[in-house]
Amino acid sequence: MKVILVGFGVIGKGVVKVIDKKKNHLKSKYGLDLKIVAICDRSGAAIDENGLDLKTALKVKEETGKISNYPEKGKNMSIVDVIKTVDADAIVEATPTNIETGEPAKTHMIEAFKNGKHVITANKGPLALYFNELTSYAEKYNKIFRYEASVGGAMPIINLAKETLAGNEITEIKGILNGTTNYILTKMEKEKLDFDTVLKEAQELGIAETNPHQDISGLDTAAKIVILANSIMNKNVSIKDVKLEGITRITPEALTMANKSGYTIKLIGEVSENKLEVGPKLIPIDDPMNVKGSLNVAMLNTDLAKEVVVVGRGAGDIETSSAILSDIISVYLRTKNE
Amino acid sequence: MKNNKKQKYNNFNKTLYYYGENMITLDLELKDIPGELIRALTPISNMGVNIFSVIHLREKKTDGRVPVRVVISDAGNRLNEVINKLEEMDIIITKVNETTRKTDIDIVVVGHVVDTDVRDTIDRLNKYGLVVDLDLSMPDPFKESSARMKVIIETDKLDDLCKELDKISEEKNLLFIKSF
Repeated sequence: MKVILVGFGVIGKGVVKVIDKKKNHLKSKYGLDLKIVAICDRSGAAIDENGLDLKTALKVKEETGKISNYPEKGKNMSIVDVIKTVDADAIVEATPTNIETGEPAKTHMIEAFKNGKHVITANKGPLALYFNELTSYAEKYNKIFRYEASVGGAMPIINLAKETLAGNEITEIKGILNGTTNYILTKMEKEKLDFDTVLKEAQELGIAETNPHQDISGLDTAAKIVILANSIMNKNVSIKDVKLEGITRITPEALTMANKSGYTIKLIGEVSENKLEVGPKLIPIDDPMNVKGSLNVAMLNTDLAKEVVVVGRGAGDIETSSAILSDIISVYLRTKNE
Repeated sequence: MKNNKKQKYNNFNKTLYYYGENMITLDLELKDIPGELIRALTPISNMGVNIFSVIHLREKKTDGRVPVRVVISDAGNRLNEVINKLEEMDIIITKVNETTRKTDIDIVVVGHVVDTDVRDTIDRLNKYGLVVDLDLSMPDPFKESSARMKVIIETDKLDDLCKELDKISEEKNLLFIKSF
């Protein structure tokens, strides 16, 4: 199986590290000979139809910041041209997410479908904004579209709901889908510190981004709940439809008040028949949704299996790449006899 | 030994039948003070309705209230009479069999809770349910304060309460963190 990797930042590098590490395992367990035939970043691309050397690619990127410096095989080619011209079975789209326009990832995905390539992505921007448009392209060109890594990082949820829980009607999904806010609230509760202090500390530790707006405003959670609503519950909603409240007004006193009543406060994304919202909620102390630190959790309410709860790591390069790799394997297993 | 087992089995069967055909469960929420249980049971007994069992659901106890499950004989058309009588006495019935009638919700409020007329806030919530506990924390008169409250509400009025909370939230710039 030949794959084009689009985007060579934190996640892209994680994917390369994981594939490099698992190469033999993939061959012996699944018979999958996985080759990365192109890697693209802002500078251009490295292309080798027989498969790039992954250690060299990582080294070039680490040392020069540009994949186009890959010896002999580096080129100044645009990403769209690579997608159009390089022969491959699938692309892995891992460019930085844009929650306002979904670009340039949206264009990359559409071009991939048009050029007969399956799409595997961790990119939530285009999914949250143009889910139906993207899935209709996948259907039109009869290609597979997988995006497990876009919600909850390594925590299995989309494929769990669509495959393992197949046959169930899923009536409600709610959960903590943002690790940064969970870290902040957990720390505020434990150490009785105010929001700004904990946020600063989280930024110093690299847990929160320099611009934490998308996390603390609830926007990141909103994008993820929209993806779940559309992909699992067949809704046709967009970020603008989400009733949104962040965690910036939560105080240590509010957390103490919640504790006195037997609760904690978590930023919860929620979708059900009449609900699509993100906001701080009281969660009983002994509830399975009360997970600490930067963990993610989701509860699916289903007609047959009733409640199913999953917990996992919502971020991190290797963790997210785990979900991407499982999507790659799944595409391979579905198409190997074609 | 064998006979004993048989006897138990028969009793078990009888109980199942008995429960399946004749039982009504009422989930009550009582104040955790002496005499509350007897106050709730006396009117049921006075109506001639048989009480099969009384179970304390202590593991669900919250904030000084104790949920109690009372199992009574099928009172037929007198069930409504029993319910009305208990509710007249301000006894909270949360569930009749599997039908939830009333539910407890907890809310933590953040904002200038007192300065935005806390009495008015409570009155407006009382139009839909009953605010039963209120606890306030005001660490600094110039900073935002926090409060927690419990509201007992009929389940079919929850949506209306939510709309009212949204309205108050907008008018008074209060953040309501809900348990549902």
